[in-house]
Amino acid sequence: MEKKQHYKSMCRMCNNHCGINVYVENGRVVNITGLKEHRWNHGRLCVKGRLGVDLVNAPDRLKKPLKRVGSQWQEIDLEQAYDEIAEKIKKIQQTWGNRAMGIWKGEAVGFLTQEELARRFAHAIGSPNYFSNDSQCYVGRWIGYALVSGTWAEPDFANAKCTVIWGSNPPYAHPNMTQSILQGRENGGRLIVIDVRLSAMARQADDFIQILPGTDGALALGLARQLIRDDLISHEFIKGYTHGFDAYADHAKAFTPERVEKETGIPAERVVDIARKIGNARPKVCIYAGNGLEHHENGINNVRAIACLDGLLGSLDEEGGNFIPEKIPLRSLTLYDEKPLRHLGPIGADKFPVLYDFRQECHTMSAMDTILTQKPYPLKGMVLTGANPALTNPNSRKVIQALKALDLFVVRELFMTETAELAHYVLPAATYLEHSELHTYPVCQSIGISPEIVTFPECDYDYMFWKKLAHRLGASHYFPWEDENELNQWILKDTGITVETLFDHPEGFKYKSRHFQKYKKEKFNTPSGKFEFVSDYLKGHGYSHVPEYIAPTYMSDPNPEYPYVLVTGARKLFYCHGRNRNFKRCRTAIPHGEIEMHPHDARQLGVDTGDVVTVTSSVGSVDIPVTVVPHSHILPGVTQITHGWKESNVNLITHDDRNDPIDGFPLMKSVEVKIKPKRQEDGE
Amino acid sequence: MRFITMDIKKCVVCRNCEYACSFQHTGDFNRADSNIRVAYHDDIKICLPQTCMHCEDAWCMEICPAAAITKNEETGAVEIDSGRCAGCKMCILACPFGNIHFDKSNLISRKCNLCKGEPQCVAACISGALQYVTAGDSCRNNREIFQRFMATLHTPL
Amino acid sequence: MQLVIIGNSAAGLSALEAFRKRDRTSPVTVITKESTIPYSRVLLPYYLRGKTTFKNLFIRSEDYYSQMGATCITDAVVKLLSEKQTLILENSAPVSYDRLLIATGSSPVKPPIPGLEGKGIHHLWTLADVENLMPCFKKGKSVVVLGSGFVSLQGAWAALSRGLDVTVVELLSRIMPNALDDHGAQILTASMKQSGVDLRINTRTLKVEQTHDGKLKLYFNNGHDLVSDFIIVGTGVRPNIDFLEGTGIEVDNGVVVNHHMKTTLPHVYAAGDVAQVPSTFGGPCVIHALWPTALETGRIAGACMAGENISYEGSLNMNVTQMFGITVASMGKFMDVEGAETWTDKTLSHGQYLKILMKDGVPVGATCAGGSELVSTLGLLRPLIREKISIQGDPAALKKMLAQNMTRYHQAYGKGASCAL
Ligand SMILES: Cc1cc2nc3c(=O)[nH]c(=O)nc-3n(C[C@H](O)[C@H](O)[C@H](O)COP(=O)(O)OP(=O)(O)OC[C@H]3O[C@@H](n4cnc5c(N)ncnc54)[C@H](O)[C@@H]3O)c2cc1C
Ligand code: SF4
Ligand code: SF4
Repeated sequence: MEKKQHYKSMCRMCNNHCGINVYVENGRVVNITGLKEHRWNHGRLCVKGRLGVDLVNAPDRLKKPLKRVGSQWQEIDLEQAYDEIAEKIKKIQQTWGNRAMGIWKGEAVGFLTQEELARRFAHAIGSPNYFSNDSQCYVGRWIGYALVSGTWAEPDFANAKCTVIWGSNPPYAHPNMTQSILQGRENGGRLIVIDVRLSAMARQADDFIQILPGTDGALALGLARQLIRDDLISHEFIKGYTHGFDAYADHAKAFTPERVEKETGIPAERVVDIARKIGNARPKVCIYAGNGLEHHENGINNVRAIACLDGLLGSLDEEGGNFIPEKIPLRSLTLYDEKPLRHLGPIGADKFPVLYDFRQECHTMSAMDTILTQKPYPLKGMVLTGANPALTNPNSRKVIQALKALDLFVVRELFMTETAELAHYVLPAATYLEHSELHTYPVCQSIGISPEIVTFPECDYDYMFWKKLAHRLGASHYFPWEDENELNQWILKDTGITVETLFDHPEGFKYKSRHFQKYKKEKFNTPSGKFEFVSDYLKGHGYSHVPEYIAPTYMSDPNPEYPYVLVTGARKLFYCHGRNRNFKRCRTAIPHGEIEMHPHDARQLGVDTGDVVTVTSSVGSVDIPVTVVPHSHILPGVTQITHGWKESNVNLITHDDRNDPIDGFPLMKSVEVKIKPKRQEDGE
Repeated sequence: MRFITMDIKKCVVCRNCEYACSFQHTGDFNRADSNIRVAYHDDIKICLPQTCMHCEDAWCMEICPAAAITKNEETGAVEIDSGRCAGCKMCILACPFGNIHFDKSNLISRKCNLCKGEPQCVAACISGALQYVTAGDSCRNNREIFQRFMATLHTPL
Repeated sequence: MQLVIIGNSAAGLSALEAFRKRDRTSPVTVITKESTIPYSRVLLPYYLRGKTTFKNLFIRSEDYYSQMGATCITDAVVKLLSEKQTLILENSAPVSYDRLLIATGSSPVKPPIPGLEGKGIHHLWTLADVENLMPCFKKGKSVVVLGSGFVSLQGAWAALSRGLDVTVVELLSRIMPNALDDHGAQILTASMKQSGVDLRINTRTLKVEQTHDGKLKLYFNNGHDLVSDFIIVGTGVRPNIDFLEGTGIEVDNGVVVNHHMKTTLPHVYAAGDVAQVPSTFGGPCVIHALWPTALETGRIAGACMAGENISYEGSLNMNVTQMFGITVASMGKFMDVEGAETWTDKTLSHGQYLKILMKDGVPVGATCAGGSELVSTLGLLRPLIREKISIQGDPAALKKMLAQNMTRYHQAYGKGASCAL
């Protein structure tokens, strides 16, 4: 019998990328544990991490290329599949133009380079249409922060005197972030959690502020007003390094504690109290904004309002504040400078220019309309890797309809997902344990690399996949590297670090030690070079220059037909977005989706835990079992459904066409719904 | 001697530990099979992870009428020998912390055995609440700590 | 200093081990009239039921005595000559002592029922009893169990599990009067009946007759007579103190001892079922006749005999047993007593029962029936009962209080340890 082999790598079961030990026996991954020396997780690994074993060995993993013939799947030779796909892409390009092809990147299979490779490929074949899950997750916050400070800084929890976790549940969403948050608390810091639900994180909060969904901007402005009034602000920072303070302060004036109470449901005195607690801890205040702030009609401005607090407190780029990591000069794979294609009209860039300006992201929600209406131009083909929009994009019915309407739909996947089922070709992908990729940890200013640990013959890794297609499409010069080893070396070239060095540093190679207050020497990456309380750039695009607050529709214009407000997307322990539902063990633990409901609402509806209800929005309906949560867990009238359950897919009822006007983010976290108990049909 | 400490100021009741424990000895994620139990007391905001303290002169070990409970010399773990346990539940009654559970499929008691010195609950604890620690000067004898604890009980919180 | 221990069961062993912890050198002699290698009485019903093996009944190894630096004599003590500090044995030479521990336990007694002797009449108390019983435990046979204490009922459960027809006869109006409150008894009664036991309460056995086909006929006061293959008698025990006659040692229901397990004779200690010991609640001394009490009192005696001056905190009765598909347990005062308030957990699901008794807010006892989680709760209560700590506020807040208590423990616990993953 072969001896157990031991590899050190990084986890990709969520976006935390913890250091892991991977044990292999007879060519099979048998165990995964936390890597003690890793800078991020210090040996701790959540149960999702261990599930990597289930992922790589899953009996239902796709191992053979499949081609749809009629309603059947037929196994097909891998190279022939590439040939056929390339032929079909060429045909689309010839008939409808290069931009009729779209490229879509999901996040399930790779690390740092997977995104840039997909972007590179799109441009290499002449299409500006790069899509990803990011246009409805993460990027909203990134843009919100970048508009204010030129980047989204990283929280330095461990040294904070006051940490504010706002709309995020790290224990489930970014598990090992919890360690540093609580380290900060152990060091004497205060923990404030602002959330719609009493989340896992909130259980340890010194102050838990339960807020109505989508009203965060009002609170942020209210805090700003109070901080200014109490003179708990950093005059030095405001005076020296910011733009538009007066206009912003003026705007915030209207947000008296009483008004904030009316908007957010938070008692006025608590607003004052929290402001003082935050202000007194300045500048070591660490405010972390989570996904809960996106997915609202006024999401970006709410995020901006929160981002502005960093400037008021002078906590930006401070130890114990939100610090701005220094980058490592990795070579970029994108072709935006080399081969800009904005003139071809990337989908969504007309409606949401900020999204494209900041992130070169096309808008996936608009893509569905484009496919269905051929407006502004036909989008006929899509190559999608490691994503499941049929389950995770809003308005699933429309998504399915659109993806079905494509002339060519290629999905590269680990499993036969709801999306893969719609494809013409399904190619098996390699997992994160099956290839070598780079990854940076900005918080630690370190970089790591994953080794190729096991392989399966027809499961190509990202680079190989794009390279093989590019070579068949006359774009081989953009993909010159023999394999990903060569590619990794090329990416690292300007850093002076070699691949070998990285393998010698499984704990994460620290490329630079941290420095604070860099703004004293360098400008902020904003149009004014300063921290922008107001944005002239946004004004130029016709938006408000201050982070204005617009109340969510369910508050400002309540529709009696839809009396409940539904939040979606709270993370659950075993699941990362749409993933892991096919692992039996996970189903033992959390077998099905649920709608979380306040006992008061449950009583009114006459339902109890386990009863099925029909939840209906203006988009559609979904049937789902109820979980009645404790009183303190959620506010009456507010409900929550986690996405990713195909049996009770909440995205059947989320909005793809009610968007934040700035970044186009869909309305998924303050959805107006009605709820009806699903009764057994009479007479049956 | 090493044992697991539980920091109630860090636990977030995420239940990674419970599932890791269940996985370790059943291969499945079933909370009921876990030897570590985490409770959240909503009204008093207490997050309470509970697993065996591997007491010195352990109550459970003393009481077991089947001599099924012993101290593992190497790891210091108080362990139940499943081959000897008769399932009488005396140990469950004896433990002053509620740290012994009943294995409903084999009808015997079960408890933490420190996973041969690599406790999986600690490895999965993402908050840092669980630590696998080496006994220090003031913490050598759990019975002593228990007495100290008993003394504090007379003073209201 | 020569130490002699009579009895090698719970109390004797616990005393020997506690003594040896403190005194590695003094010679120790253990005398037992039963098996040399110690076995566990508690496991006997489990063995009958097939839940544990014969081998597992033995709870110490063969070289136990040599490891403990003790000699073991397998013989019965027939007389104590207290002035001479000497024991007379049935078949061996006399043994003298400097200190003596009486840990002879108790033996079952038969009620005065005519015909209750001879073939087919059994006890369930010793290994020998069980070896005699085992051949009778055959599917299809019938047994009558006289008495409904927890040992008797365990015998009944073992018989039922082996496919025997089981009748339990109890003189009183309810089962398990010494271990359960009325409601707990009701729950257990229901599951006994559901499991198929023919339970007869308020029933007096008038006489027993051997039938010509080798069976036993039982006559009852209510006329519902019965024929059975064999009978297990479990109607009471008395301490093994015959050999103490004439010593003048104070005996009440058992050998009376003080907080150090000392009897009224010089250098003579007693522990376990044979001893009447202080109770945790104060008041008159008690015989709980339970394994944990035997262990505790043995431990105190062992330490005191080694010269340490420790006192017993008093016996707290605690008992758990599972049979007929449910677990029942009790601790301290479980029968409703005057001046005490009772609290039952209303949040439990159907078939689960937990009752706590309190005096002036201090828990004094509890009973439960249902699942093993409830047994854990009793375990958590034990320190509070022992230390007489009041449950502040509503007893419904017990769980909360226990949680708060645990937090204090954690605070005491975590300190001083050096951390590592
Ligand atoms: C079937 C059964 C089930 C039980 N189940 C439980 C239970 O679940 N929970 C519980 O708490 N308790 C239970 N008990 C009670 C428990 O077993 C006793 O309380 C415990 O064994 C008492 O221990 P002891 O050492 O005092 O006496 P014993 O166990 O009775 O031992 C007496 C010892 O003294 C020796 N001896 C006696 N007389 C002489 C003599 N003249 N000369 C020499 N040696 C002598 C005997 O050989 C024996 O070694 C059960 C008892 C029985 C019989
Ligand atoms: S189970 Fe309870 S009594 Fe036994 S060692 Fe663990 S904590 Fe102590
Ligand atoms: S349940 Fe098993 S381990 Fe526990 S006391 Fe009984 S025999 Fe010993």
